Amino acid sequence: MAERKVRMKIFGMTCDDCVRTVSEGLRSSGASDISIDLKSGMASFIIDDSRTDPDKLQSIPVFSGESHYKGQVRNVD
Amino acid sequence: MSIDKPEEFDLIILGRGAAAFSAAIKASELTSGQATIAMTGTGPLGGTCVNVGCVPSKYLVEAAKSKIEGERQTYPGIIRGKGSLKFDELMGSLRSAVESERTEKYENVIRNYPNIKVFDGRASFTDPFTVEIINGNGRESIRGFNFLLATGSSPVVPDIPGLADAGFLTSNNIWEINRIPGRLAIIGGGFIALELGQSLQRLGSHVTIIKEHSSISKVMDPEFQMAMINTLQEEGVEFLTGVSVLSVKRTATGKVLTFASGDRKIEREFDEILISRGRKPNVAGLNLEKAGVEFSERGVRTDPYMRTSNERIYAAGDVVDQRYQLETLAAREGSIAVSNIYSPEKMKIELNLIPWAIFTEPQYASVGLTEKMANDMGINCTCRTLKIEDVPKGRILHSHNGLFRIIADPENGKVLGIEILAPYAAEMIMEGVHLIRNGSNLQDLVQTTHVFPTVAEGIKLTAQSFFRDMSKMSCCME
Repeated sequence: MAERKVRMKIFGMTCDDCVRTVSEGLRSSGASDISIDLKSGMASFIIDDSRTDPDKLQSIPVFSGESHYKGQVRNVD
Repeated sequence: MSIDKPEEFDLIILGRGAAAFSAAIKASELTSGQATIAMTGTGPLGGTCVNVGCVPSKYLVEAAKSKIEGERQTYPGIIRGKGSLKFDELMGSLRSAVESERTEKYENVIRNYPNIKVFDGRASFTDPFTVEIINGNGRESIRGFNFLLATGSSPVVPDIPGLADAGFLTSNNIWEINRIPGRLAIIGGGFIALELGQSLQRLGSHVTIIKEHSSISKVMDPEFQMAMINTLQEEGVEFLTGVSVLSVKRTATGKVLTFASGDRKIEREFDEILISRGRKPNVAGLNLEKAGVEFSERGVRTDPYMRTSNERIYAAGDVVDQRYQLETLAAREGSIAVSNIYSPEKMKIELNLIPWAIFTEPQYASVGLTEKMANDMGINCTCRTLKIEDVPKGRILHSHNGLFRIIADPENGKVLGIEILAPYAAEMIMEGVHLIRNGSNLQDLVQTTHVFPTVAEGIKLTAQSFFRDMSKMSCCME
């Protein structure tokens, strides 16, 4: 197990409800210590890379299918 | 001394043409207008297609067609006479049409996207995240996370002694002329040469197409190439093939070309020269090495997802190293590139489903494999060819030199490709796109009723010719 700090740009959020929806989506996909700035769309959180593949974060349910939220991984430490 | 921090963008698009606009708009849609996008480039918005490509060339093609149709004695009893031409007026209207199209479909459209910022100037990479934009006002650096290379292409100008001094036209600047050239030499014989050559011949020029090789295209089947050349020759266009231009010299009365034909040297005087040797991808000056993007003089290398060797940088359109340079392909690739940047569902470009056309008369259109391509690629195929004279509507139109060809898989009859040289070929080829996209076979096509009499019926008749002797079939036979 290795904890990785991820920075992700989120597109499509317009209000605090959106922030909550995206946060919950990230949490249910294995993210913790989630912090999202609505204005910049930047999210930072921790993942356990033995459980969550950083390369697959863009395709977790909250960013897939009919969802109008899009996420783009910008940095993984 | 303080240094301004470079403005930052989610996506920087190098280019302002069809690929760039398609990408910028699609990226805006995908991100709910929240992706900050920069578009950089020089010249009028819209790039090649609207300004110096498809739009003006098709305007000229249709204008010339209108003139010739007014003069041609196609049907007995319909008496027509030679029309007159005000070429300067025609070219003025062409330029107005271009301006109107550019204003409506590019300049006005971009105003609807406050997240897109347009920069004037040439951009080049200074590091993998930064480009420097240089224009008459100085230099400015901007930084981005993703980039799209969509810088398009430029006419290839051969290195012929005396050419620059004598002066010449290309498909970029021919739209500015107001006097029709009397004797026009076209050096090179690509699609632009054929379209403009036929149109200018119809409008009154005496056109000579000068080519080193006898073929028009690397992918068109030779039979189609010959039929197209025959049509143009019947209209008076002269073809000089197997010759290379050695030099050009300006004289008091024109421009003298010296060319070699075998051991002979021939001199011919023309009033104007049009260079049509194809287009080269605009990679020079981008400093792609600094961004870690692999490229050659054939263009930027991408995978089918339009991603370059730098995974954050994509490319689309004429700048890509690929077999076609098409406006529709550029727009499709631009859209695919940004979809792959912002969406989890990854999309591939499928060149096999991209139709293309030459807007001569008759028009040529193709999708999928040609027989020549299948042979070159070692793909087993079976083909049938039908003449336009075997199609009732073709006979009604008094059309000739037209051909239909279907290329199919001999194992299962799946349609692999269609070539058409006929009136409305560019409109009809869409049937071929759907056939290939849906994996349809020859029987699917035969079992589909077509409207009678149409030129498009030729596609079905060609499919029927795989199974039947066409000379023993009645009209409209299912």
